[in-house]
Amino acid sequence: MTEDKNINILLVDDNDIDIVVNTKLLRLANFKGGIQSFHSGNEVISFIRNNANELQSMVNVLLLDIQMPGVDGFETLQFFDGLDDSIKATFQVFMLSSSIDRNDIIRAEMNPIIRKVLEKPLDVYLLRRLIEQ
Amino acid sequence: MSTEKIRILYLDDEEHNLTSFKAAFRRDFEIFTTLDAGEAVTILNEHDIHIVISDQKMPNLSGVEFFELIIPDFPDPIRILLTGYADIEAVIDAINKGQVYRYITKPWNEQDLRMTLINAHELYINKNALRKKNDELSKAYNELEKFIYSASHDLRAPLVSILGILKLTRLEDIDPKSSEYFGMIERLVSRLDVFVQNIISYYQNLKQGELITPINFDLLLDELFEHYRFFEGADNVRFIKNVNQHGEVKLDELRLKMILNNLISNSIKYMDTTKVDSYMRVSVETENQNTVISVEDNGVGIKREDQKRVFDMFYRTSEVTMGSGLGLYIVREATANLGGNVTMQSEPGIGSTFVVAIPNKP
Repeated sequence: MTEDKNINILLVDDNDIDIVVNTKLLRLANFKGGIQSFHSGNEVISFIRNNANELQSMVNVLLLDIQMPGVDGFETLQFFDGLDDSIKATFQVFMLSSSIDRNDIIRAEMNPIIRKVLEKPLDVYLLRRLIEQ
Repeated sequence: MSTEKIRILYLDDEEHNLTSFKAAFRRDFEIFTTLDAGEAVTILNEHDIHIVISDQKMPNLSGVEFFELIIPDFPDPIRILLTGYADIEAVIDAINKGQVYRYITKPWNEQDLRMTLINAHELYINKNALRKKNDELSKAYNELEKFIYSASHDLRAPLVSILGILKLTRLEDIDPKSSEYFGMIERLVSRLDVFVQNIISYYQNLKQGELITPINFDLLLDELFEHYRFFEGADNVRFIKNVNQHGEVKLDELRLKMILNNLISNSIKYMDTTKVDSYMRVSVETENQNTVISVEDNGVGIKREDQKRVFDMFYRTSEVTMGSGLGLYIVREATANLGGNVTMQSEPGIGSTFVVAIPNKP
């Protein structure tokens, strides 16, 4: 069992409401680890790059929205893929999306970086089980 | 059809053939003649030619070769080859390759040639009309695709955000009156969301795309149950999960979800409010080759006269108005897409059982 305090969740979503909802859902489900939110792919990638040392010791969970203006979830993944292997290894990456477009989902599931495509609203129980697996 | 003249281009290395052709047909058709293949291409570029006639035997290139040359840029005009009996083999070959519509032997019979030209023009018109219709159709299809894509995001994203907020209201401390109202909103939004999802899945199921992943039925059903627990009426239904999974099973998860979503939501929708203990049981049995899923309930059941048609598109059972008429149609189509089949047993007043059998993917 991974202790919550070692888990750090990075939420990436251009929609403020969804960030608030997902953060609250995590807290109401008693998640005690770190939660950080970002409005764009660029933001989260530079954050990871600049805080690699602190993140190194954590179990990092990246929850990435697919549809975002500008840099979308798939492009963010490409940037993520360009990061150092040592930092990438600390991450579990999930897509978190309202999209049920087959092509989007297939494209995401085919990506080796993606562990799973999760549907909004976030099912915290499911996420926990996946992180533990 | 327009009354404009039929435009014919005739290429031949013998001047007198061109002259006599012109003399015979210039009153009926608009005729362009040339001795030179290069000039023929210029004419094709400058005029909207319907029919191209070419002599087969010419010094620099044959008629068949000329056709091969122009087909990539001018596929539409109907091609007719003029030939003597000697080169019959080249002609048969050209016809078989689809390069030539007809061949006319020299010397031509004016009456026959006129009929051939008129028929060729009719073919040209039909071919063009068909192509135009095809273009329109694929344009309409593309627009539909785009619409479905944007509908799947722009319509669904706010719905899902609303559902997220409503989920919060269930978890937070809120006064009972508000929470009752939020509950009502949640049930309605869920219903709308199911409808939007069904419309989108209906179109997407037509697409070939397939995604085969290992399925953990325990986890999958937990996820679905969690989602449907707050569906309209679901608080009075006991959800039972009965999974008997042996080893790894690989299936198309998206289509599987489409099927389960519809069967589960139907069971909840059509529960029997007069019964004390309403239940919905999802059983999964994985065998070597097949996965058998059954969704069973003790709901209102389906009337005998409706049973044959429940899988039809837009068929709604008589007394119920909430369905889109798409749900079971999607179940049947998605199951067929997975190479399986779905059967139903139902007794009015007792309940319904749907059984889906799907072959596992390697």
